[in-house]
This record gives sequence, structure tokens and C-alpha cells, in this order.
Amino acid sequence: MKTKERESFWIRVKKDWKRNRSLYLMVLPVILFYVLFHYKPMYGALIAFQDYNPRLGFSGSEWVGFDQFNRFFTSPYFGRLVKNTLLLSVYGILFGFPAPIILALLLNELRAKRFKKTVQTITYLPHFISLVVVTGIIKDFTQSTGLINDIIVMFGGERSSLIQNPALYRTIYIVSDIWQGIGWGSIIYLSALSGVDQQLYEAASIDGAGRWKQLIHVTLPGIAPTIVIMLIMRMGQLLGTGYEKTILLYNEATYETADVIASYIYRVGILERNWSYSTAIGLFNSVINLALLIVTNKISKRVSETSLW
Amino acid sequence: MIKRNNKIKKGALLMAAVVAAAGIATGCGNKDNGGAAPESQTTAQADASGKTETAAPDTAFSYPVAEGGTLSYWVELNANAAANYTSLNDTEFGKKLQENTGITIEFQHPAVGQVAEQFNLLLSNRTLPDIIEYSWLTYAGGPQKAIEDGVVLPLNDVIDSYCPNLKAYLEANPDVDKMIKTDDGTYYCFPFIRGGEKLKTSTGLMLRGDWLEELGMEVPTTMDEWHDVLTAFKEEKGAAAPFTYWYGSQGLTDNNPFAYAYGAPRNFYIGDDGSVHYGAVEDGYREYLQTMNRWMSEGLIDVDLATLTNDQVSAKITNGTAGASFGWCGSSLGTWTGAGRTTEEDFTLVPAPYPSVEKGTKPEFGQKDNDFVNMGCAVITTSCENVELAARLLDYAYGEEGHMLFNFGIEGVSYTMESGEPIYTDLILKNPDLSITHAMSGYIRANYNGPFVQDEAYADQYYTLDEQKEALAVWSDTNADKHIIPPVTPTVDESKEQAQIMNEINTYRDEMTLKFILGNKSFDEWDDYVETIKGMSLDRVLEIQNAALERYQER
Repeated sequence: MKTKERESFWIRVKKDWKRNRSLYLMVLPVILFYVLFHYKPMYGALIAFQDYNPRLGFSGSEWVGFDQFNRFFTSPYFGRLVKNTLLLSVYGILFGFPAPIILALLLNELRAKRFKKTVQTITYLPHFISLVVVTGIIKDFTQSTGLINDIIVMFGGERSSLIQNPALYRTIYIVSDIWQGIGWGSIIYLSALSGVDQQLYEAASIDGAGRWKQLIHVTLPGIAPTIVIMLIMRMGQLLGTGYEKTILLYNEATYETADVIASYIYRVGILERNWSYSTAIGLFNSVINLALLIVTNKISKRVSETSLW
Repeated sequence: MIKRNNKIKKGALLMAAVVAAAGIATGCGNKDNGGAAPESQTTAQADASGKTETAAPDTAFSYPVAEGGTLSYWVELNANAAANYTSLNDTEFGKKLQENTGITIEFQHPAVGQVAEQFNLLLSNRTLPDIIEYSWLTYAGGPQKAIEDGVVLPLNDVIDSYCPNLKAYLEANPDVDKMIKTDDGTYYCFPFIRGGEKLKTSTGLMLRGDWLEELGMEVPTTMDEWHDVLTAFKEEKGAAAPFTYWYGSQGLTDNNPFAYAYGAPRNFYIGDDGSVHYGAVEDGYREYLQTMNRWMSEGLIDVDLATLTNDQVSAKITNGTAGASFGWCGSSLGTWTGAGRTTEEDFTLVPAPYPSVEKGTKPEFGQKDNDFVNMGCAVITTSCENVELAARLLDYAYGEEGHMLFNFGIEGVSYTMESGEPIYTDLILKNPDLSITHAMSGYIRANYNGPFVQDEAYADQYYTLDEQKEALAVWSDTNADKHIIPPVTPTVDESKEQAQIMNEINTYRDEMTLKFILGNKSFDEWDDYVETIKGMSLDRVLEIQNAALERYQER
């Protein structure tokens, strides 16, 4: 039975190949790209189980089993790193994820075209500023002589270095993330909004629904699949807080709340050249992320019938 | 001709035998050696000497090399040189070096700022450049490991046969000789050497001389005097952040003068008992932190300390937001004075000595380099086919002629001899288009590093301000020599273990240090802090360090 199916599959491919030869040729570079740049490098993840030495190479380095993983799990910083990484992601989802949706919904309700365009452009812009510049601005603003302190002083507060305060680090990180990403993130929702059937709005208003009711009963269900897909993808990055922003923004005084797995990899692995150790941590990270992605996808499939695959 | 060739072959065989013996000896000394590595070295060595064209021992050799030849040479292009040149080949220095030695050099430069990354990429290549210049003590596992990994060629025989200049220098300077070999006596590099006391100290405290004068105060020498001066700067001169410095610079923070005042550097040092200590868990360090915490709450120290960039520090010093700092003789004291004078005519920065707690005592600690500095250190790799040529090229720098070229450049162009002393010309010192360091970088390497002996006369002329000349004298007047750890080489396993432990300890120390200073942690928790660090196996690291130090002393 199975072999038969398989045969028929190959026969179908063959037929299809004859018919759409040019299409296959067009997709070939993409497949090659993935093989070369995404699948072949996975071979390098092997060094997580080795004591890798660049001179000896993949084949010559000593195999050490799970030593590198054990080292990470028993590190005094393990608990803190996981906690910081998770918390930043959770806050990011809690506050950062709804932000572009709300912006998109607000923009959608706007009738003045010109105003809408202006707001959109202004909110997009920060996305195009390099992260290095953005963090530079954040640091300037949050230092004791910065703009935010000027405002605090205006209301009778005292000057202090906000970026050196571990209690404020997450807030600064998330708020600046939202500021930078809100406009760009709203694009996908705006396009989903434009796909909502206009007849539904008419029907709703005939039934006596005001704008708020329309929003709840027509607009939101209309873009729900998009929201769910975006959320699933976001869940897959729960432990994936990037190192770039962290290493640009943190300092020794804020390690307590700022140090995440990725920045730890950067410090210990890249700066101190522990290739195997950092690969092991990275691999651990990816496995957890993949698991989270699958679980979220499953849940979503059950609950809302929307899923990635 | 045939006869001669035979002789060479015999010589080569003999040499191979010697090296093999040395290799076996090494293997016995180090259990984890495996035995494979020394073998491969031997073959490489025999191979190389087999291909050498001239007869081995020195018989009236002179530069330029008669047959010439080409060598590949991997070296970081220093930022000062990179400002105007894309390769050392383009510099007058590079051209002259090749002309004088008769050897063609193919320089390979890693991208600026990516030296460490590119160095590792380089190692994964099967064939290496003939010569690699790098900070070899930082090679993962140390220089001994670099030899075992089959990267670096042991140089004992090479130095004996082809390097009369370096050999003579090492014989005359047994201290340096001790520093540049591994514990088992293997030479591995052509070192960068600070050729004088003034070259070994480059950082220290500085403060506004014009303010001091105005306030009628003396240059502070003790912690109490510093407190008074900083308070006066704050109250009388309106400095919002009286003391500031580039905290993020590891080189500076490792040598923090206020920590030194309490006899507790944050890193390893040699104590009065002659053994290695870790300063950051000692009582002196606590006193230092308490003082900093008090000064911080009194507003004497920049509250943004942890996040400052060097540019921000420069701005604060030059615009009067801060009145005192800690930095380098050239890029801080010199640069800031120049910048400050463009807005304020009387702007002066004067150097202050490393402070002490008791008045009138000579400071115990201060920043000081070893003679052999872990940078610009050249090795010949196992891929090098013409070892003699590479050795001749590198040895050139330690001879009379090479010394002048590396330190002063070309006579009549970049320097002239005046009553027996080399003096830089106006092309270097008063170049209308280039700063001194940029102008120097076209002709010499003394303003950064490389495999040669740096000449003290360079510093005397490079530092043009009187304050700078004074700074070198004031800052270097400490007992630091007793406390700095020489370039010890832990074994491969030891250095791996140490790196793992220290990585955790240093992260914790750095974090807690700032918390104590900023007042986020109370000093009641000091004992916990010390216990935590001890719990991270600090004792094991001290054991490793002390063992390495002992082996070093027995070299």
C-alpha cells in the first residue's frame, strides 16, 4: 500500500516536472540556498559534543559527550539566565505583541487619509534606524543628564542613572522595543484588515452594531487567524531574546536583570572563544524554542483551528 | 656542489634528531601531550631545514639576504597605520624593511577590529602564513598548546642558528629571556619588548592644574587629599561629576588607582609573601568599595560611571563637568589638554601619583607592564617552508640597523642624528597634515607594537607636553614591580580550568563591585560576596596560579 502511494507520488512529480519544468528551475536556487546556508551548517552543531579546536577541525577535535551541556546547567548563572530570557520574552509578548495590533485597529478607524498616512510613516521610521544608534539614543536619554531625567526633575524628582538601575532595565528594554517596532509590526495587520469583507460591516450596522461592536464582532474575528499565526511564531522565539540589543544596552550594574542566554553566549563563547560551550548553549536554546513552537501550534490547532502546519 | 648538499642533508638529519629528542623530552614532561604533536613538529622542522639553501651555522651572514625570497606575514594593521595605509607594504617602513633585508613580504591584514575572530578563522586553514603576529599568550591553552596543536614552530634551534641579534639580546637580558619561553624552556616567539622603564607605565591619574592653582591646593597624594580636592571641585568649581573615567575599559579598571591605594587590585597580584593573591576578595578591596560608595553618595564620582563611553569622558573633562580623571598619557592627558585649550586658554591637566592611604609613603601599587608585553609577538608557523629566511627577517629587528628602523624610521627622512641621539624630524613631529601618531605610523612601529625592542627615546619625543613627561615619571614611581605577575604559562588543562572558573568569578565580581559602589548592595553582604566567590573555586585558581609562578621562577 505504502510503496504504491510512494510510486504514485514520484509518478506525479515526474508528470508535474514535464509540465512545469521552468517553475522547478526557478525554485532550485531557493532550495540550494537552504541546503547550503541552513542545513549544511547544522553539521557544525556537532561541536557542541566536542572540545572543539579550530586547528584540529571537526574531525580532529576530542568528543566529550554532554560535558558542555552539564557545564551550562551547573553554572551559577543558569537559573538567572533562563529567568531573564523568559521574562523579557513574556513581557515582550504581554505588552509588545498587542501594541501593533492596537495601532493597526486605531489606524483602521481613521477616516482622514492624510493624517493616517502621516502617522503610519512616523511610526515606521524607527524601524529603519540601526540598533546601535537606537541603543545610543536610549543610553543618552536615560543617563543622569538625559532627557528623561530632565522631565523627572521638572516634576520635582531627583536625577539618577536609569540605565544603571536593574529594576528599570526590563521596562526600558520593552518600551524601546515597542517604540521601534510598533509601526512596522502593524503593517501585516493593516493588510489583514483590508481583507475583511466590507459587506460584513454593512450587515452589522444594519443589525444596529455601533463602531465598537463592529470592532469586536467583525474586525477582530476577521484578523484573528493572522494574530494567531503571529503569536505562534512569537512563541517559537520565547527563549530567543537576541544578544544584539542586550549587549549594547546592558552594563555590569544591570547584569542581574539584563543578562540573557544569548548575551552570555556572546561573552563566554565568542569573546573567550569557547566554541563548543557556546554551541551547546545555542543548541539547548533552539531545542527549547522548537518544543515551544510545536506545543503552541498544537494548542492553537485545537482551540482555534488555525495552525502553521 | 653535490658535496655541499650532502653536508646540508647531514646537518638537517642531525638537527631533526636533536629536535626529536627535545620533542620526546617535552612529551615526558607533559603527560597529556599525546606524542603525536611533537612528531609532527619534528617532520615540519626537518622538512624546513632540508629545504634551506644556505649552510646552517652563521658564517659571515649579512643583510640584505643574497638570494632574496618571499614570505607571507599575518599581522594586525594598527588603527593608527590603517588611518592612512591599507597595508604595511605601502608604508615607508614596510618598503625600507624589505629593501634592507632583501626579503619580499606579503602582508596579510585582518579587518580592523576583528583580529580575534579572523585569527581563529586563520587557524582553521590547512596552510598558515609563514609568520603570524598575535598576542600569543592569549591563545586558548597558552603558547605550549599552540606548539602542540601544530601551529607554532619551536624556535630553540632556529634562534641558535639564525638569530644572533635576538640571542645576544636575550643573553644580555636574562629576565626577558625567562619571560619569552615556556616552562620547559621552549622558545616560541619573537617578542615585543618594552626597552625602558618609561615605556612600561602609560596610565595614571590626572586633574585640572588651573583649578588647583585657583583654589590654592596641592596635587593630592593620599585618599583624604583626593576627597578634599574633589569636594572643592564640586563646591567651588561647580563640577557636576568631579571624578570620572572610562569605567568600561578593562585596561583602566584593572588598574584603578583608588583600589591600588588600599593595596587591593581587583585581579591577581603577587603579595608580600611572594604568592599570588586575588585582590577582589580581600579587606583592602572592601575599603576601596566603601570609599567609592561614600564618594558616590557625596556626588564626587560621576553617577553614570558604568555606562560612559570614552567620548563622553573626554567631553566631560574638556568642558569642565569633571575635574579629574584616570587615563592614558597620550590619548587622555595629551588629547584632552589640546582639546581643552581650544575653549579655555589656561586649561591644564597635571598628573597625580598613584595615591596611598598614609601620607608620604611610596605607593605600593601602580600600573606597570612587564618587559615582555603580550602583543605584537611574532611566531614562525609550521607551514613555513623557508624557516631560515623567516628567522633572518624577524631577527633583523633586534640588530642595530633594524632597531633604528623600527623605532625611528629612515635616517634623514624621519629622523636625524644630533650629537649621537636620534631626533625625529618635523615630518613626524610637526607634520601639517597628520597627527604625530599618524605620521609615525608611516615610518616606524614604536608607536604601537611589533616584534622588536621599543626604544625609550621614542617616548621622550612622542610625549611633547611637559605634563606628559612629568606624568611618566610620577606614575611610574611605585613599588609595582614587586606585585606584577610575570607572563606565566599554566598548562593546557590548567588554563582551561582556570578560564572556566575565572569567567564566572569575574562576572560576579564586576557585577557586585558596581552594586557596592552604587549603593544597591549593603556592605553587610560583603561576607556573602566573599563566600560566593570562594564557592566558585577561587582556591583552585590560586593553586594553579601559584604553581605556574613557581614553575616560572624555576625556568
